[in-house]
Amino acid sequence: MDFESPDVMKDFPGLYASDVHKAKSNDIEYGEDAEKVTKKDILIGKRKEKKDKKDKERGYAALEGESSAEESYEVSPSKSKKSKSFKFPTKSKEKREKSRDKEKEVTEKKKDKDKRVDKKIEKDKCKVEKKEKKVKSEDWCDIAEVLPIFGVNLKLAIEHGRCHDGIDLPVPVRACIDYVEDYGLTFENVYKISAPKSKVIHIKKLYNQREHVNLVDYDVPTATSLLKMFLRDLPEPVFTSELLIRFEEAGAILNVALREKHLKILVGNLPQHNRLLLSWIITHFYNVTLNEKYNKMNAQNLALCMSSTLQTSHRLLTALLCHCPALFPDTVLERYIYPLTSSSQLPDDPELMEQELQKQESLLTQIHSEMNVGFISKQREELLWEVQRIITQLKRKLKTANKDREQLFEKIDEQQNEEIVENTQITQPSPTASYEPETTPVQISENVEETKSVENVTASETIIVPETNVSDSPNLAVLHKQVIKEAEPEEVEFVESESREFKNALEILQIRNGFLSELRDSFIKQIEEDRAEIAVLKNQLTQRDWTPVYGDANCASLDEIMDLLQKENQILQIKKINLVRQIMEQQEACIDLKTKIDAYSKHNLFA
Amino acid sequence: MSKKPVTQPALHKVIMVGSGGVGKSALTLQFMYDEFVEDYEPTKADSYRKKILLDGEEVQIDILDTAGQEDYAAIRDNYFRSGEGFLCIFSITEDESFQATQDFREQILRVKNDENIPFLLVGNKCDLEERRKVSYQEASDRAKQWGVTYVETSAKTREHVDKVFFDLMREIRARKMEENKTNNGRGKDKNKRKKLKCVIL
Repeated sequence: MDFESPDVMKDFPGLYASDVHKAKSNDIEYGEDAEKVTKKDILIGKRKEKKDKKDKERGYAALEGESSAEESYEVSPSKSKKSKSFKFPTKSKEKREKSRDKEKEVTEKKKDKDKRVDKKIEKDKCKVEKKEKKVKSEDWCDIAEVLPIFGVNLKLAIEHGRCHDGIDLPVPVRACIDYVEDYGLTFENVYKISAPKSKVIHIKKLYNQREHVNLVDYDVPTATSLLKMFLRDLPEPVFTSELLIRFEEAGAILNVALREKHLKILVGNLPQHNRLLLSWIITHFYNVTLNEKYNKMNAQNLALCMSSTLQTSHRLLTALLCHCPALFPDTVLERYIYPLTSSSQLPDDPELMEQELQKQESLLTQIHSEMNVGFISKQREELLWEVQRIITQLKRKLKTANKDREQLFEKIDEQQNEEIVENTQITQPSPTASYEPETTPVQISENVEETKSVENVTASETIIVPETNVSDSPNLAVLHKQVIKEAEPEEVEFVESESREFKNALEILQIRNGFLSELRDSFIKQIEEDRAEIAVLKNQLTQRDWTPVYGDANCASLDEIMDLLQKENQILQIKKINLVRQIMEQQEACIDLKTKIDAYSKHNLFA
Repeated sequence: MSKKPVTQPALHKVIMVGSGGVGKSALTLQFMYDEFVEDYEPTKADSYRKKILLDGEEVQIDILDTAGQEDYAAIRDNYFRSGEGFLCIFSITEDESFQATQDFREQILRVKNDENIPFLLVGNKCDLEERRKVSYQEASDRAKQWGVTYVETSAKTREHVDKVFFDLMREIRARKMEENKTNNGRGKDKNKRKKLKCVIL
């Protein structure tokens, strides 16, 4: 719309000074949903005030205004037309430029829809910057105006200046808070002293252009002023226009408990992003006030400094600061660590890798979305490939790490198996003898008891069903049990020597898992064997059924068959009972083992 | 030689395109790490960088392994735009993938707006001769029609894997040199104009 106005002026030179034009430009500028109340106020019929403000601003704006605005309009070829239109008396020219400055600021802050019109302004601006810095390319300027971080509503600011660690706050906010938390808490009159505006505006531009900003290169007042500027530039107060009055009301309540209660409810009513931002800012300010001894900023002072920035009353802010621990108990000001670049070392810890991968993927998504909007440049493409490469590397590394871990597990399993084999070899000749010196007497007696009982079972079974080899499986089970009992302390011992608690716990769990699965396998085996046997028996039954019926069908043979069937049924039932008993015993043994493992691990921990 | 650490080796950007499951990732991984991965895992996008000796000259190759699936077509353009050479891959055991190369070719030409972009048509899985569905003749006819080279590869046996990458890089290098020549010859003004319009060589 900057382009529009000169034309309008050419046609109607007098129009510029009139309110009609003001209103018009107003319409154009604030046609968006994102309206900034204060800006609007300034623009609507408060020219005088604006003038005053401008005059005030001259002091610092002079430098920038002269080196940027005027210069660019003279030099840039696209403006040649315009320079013709500057036929007005100096006064109006001055005014014009002022308003231009103003508009520029506004456009910089707003807009992501009036793209095409604004682009030209931006290009000019870009040229200015080129003159100033001689480093930036045109492409980098585009994004500052299409997808700015400053001066858009909070949601867009978060989107444009996304932190890739999952905390939805705009990057500048995080950076400022991090910096002040690190270096500014003991800085005297922090948040009271402000930095030169030109400096802050410069950093703002850098942020809008997605240049990397390192606040460490600046000082505390710059960081605090930048944060203030971000908050002031928000089109809507952090407390939202609807809730602001209610917040004020709540802040005015005298009863402390009631005030806290009301504020808490209101904070809960805030949109998610606003609540998060508020929680961080207030928690941060609270930290500042905690260092009052050094920085001389108590809640009162700080509230005084920040109330206008947050478009709220001093009273409300003081109240929020005083209730901060109650209002935002869970807020932790987590430091923001930028996604890695290709030059940095990738993490080795799988967890960190996972985190980094998420960050990089978030960054990649953002780059894609920015490119889809049309923000394409060589650097961006370079970045896209780079980020993609890091992601690929991370994924690869993660994969190999996981593979290594699996291999480690397999190794442990193998070790276990080997031990089991060893143990079985040793225990086979004399299952009841406990060759382990570490085993406690209780354990030994248990072993003896259990093996005995199971042996009894085996004996009974072998007597009842001599033709099947089911009897082997209880034996196996006995061995297993034995193995479990004896391998366990050894394993624990081995772990103990390693004296790494975490590893201990992990390995014990794995051991337990391994043995449990072994138990399960043996059960499955037994069940299968039994099933096979049942099938065999059934076959036998049917065979016997048919032969007598067709051979010699007399009552005696029928009785015989009945007897046989009943016998077999009995046998099967006994077997079933035995199996159930075995299962029960196994389970008991399992529970025993579990408790013992726990005891051992605890013992290890204490040792 | 002393300049070497100062001047970065030339960087060539290669993009792998083709339908899903034709072996783009397999070819890339075979080229990058000499490994053949049996299990199939669809790629979203992966990027690799490798330093290699191209005819005695040290160069860097950036390989972008793209998704064959249509799901990721939206982000494809962003990558295509920055590619300097393309390996268009299909599986000789799957006619559909061969037909799809036509679409990929068109898409690349649309994004790059350049008929002579370094480009190779690659028929992968040539170790599976018994399951061949696309004849050599058919494929090389299409390549001829496009004015590109056709190579058959096997990511499994590593046959022609290096060849396709190196051939493509040579094309890219030749292309860059040509561009430099024209740029230098015509001076700055032409250079500027070049940015705005496409040049048909």
